[in-house]
Amino acid sequence: MTLIVRSESPIPARTTVWLEGRLDAATFGDLDEALRDITPLVDNGGTLVIELSGLEYISSAGLRSLAQLRKQMHDRDGRTLLLNPQPQVKKVFDIVKAVPVAEVFASVAELDQYLDHMQRQITG
Amino acid sequence: MRLCIPNRLEDVFLALDRAELTLDRAAIDNACRADVRLVLEELLVNTVRHGYPDGREGKIDIHLEIRADIVRLELRDDAEAFDPLLYDPPDLPGDIADREIGGLGLHLARSIASDFEYARDAHGNRVVIRFDPSLSDEPSP
Repeated sequence: MTLIVRSESPIPARTTVWLEGRLDAATFGDLDEALRDITPLVDNGGTLVIELSGLEYISSAGLRSLAQLRKQMHDRDGRTLLLNPQPQVKKVFDIVKAVPVAEVFASVAELDQYLDHMQRQITG
Repeated sequence: MRLCIPNRLEDVFLALDRAELTLDRAAIDNACRADVRLVLEELLVNTVRHGYPDGREGKIDIHLEIRADIVRLELRDDAEAFDPLLYDPPDLPGDIADREIGGLGLHLARSIASDFEYARDAHGNRVVIRFDPSLSDEPSP
């Protein structure tokens, strides 16, 4: 099994990246390469959502790619939010305290609620 | 399952797939299967990347034994001496973007295995790891 990366940018402020398969020492290069094309599409200060419902497995090599991505987004005042991590991925995130709990969402509804709230803070 | 592989990354991944297939055939649950795969990946990739700094060819023996209440993994290699238990736990500030890259693989391997032993003898490094299939939904403390 390999890694499949798909992305969609309905608006420049928000891009969603779907990961499917395994993110490990054999496949992290595929993600890094795909992200080199995807991240420039996100506005400075924008939001990148990583949709993880199809990601079955992650290892430390995959965590390194996600760490680099989060750093890049931080440097551009952007956010990286994680959606729907599956049991193995969630377990790995928990062990290494990969991301603040507030930036991981179990459903699209939860994520939308958070983004609406952030939007209201900016505009309100 | 017994395998002897050369110290190359592509062989590591073939071994991971073989191990997963073996666990699958023995009806080991998904969580434990993923745990074994993760520990194997972290240790084998580490050995291949850092264990042979002189670039020589090496070999790694993998023995995976499945019993009713325990999954036992034994790894032997002829790499440089390396005790995975002597590593300091990494700094975990709560965001992987705020820390130095590296050091997470061994921490994951040690956190997930129920029991971890290391020895070095005339043949090289030997690591024995045990997994309790019934505990695999929760990380070890």
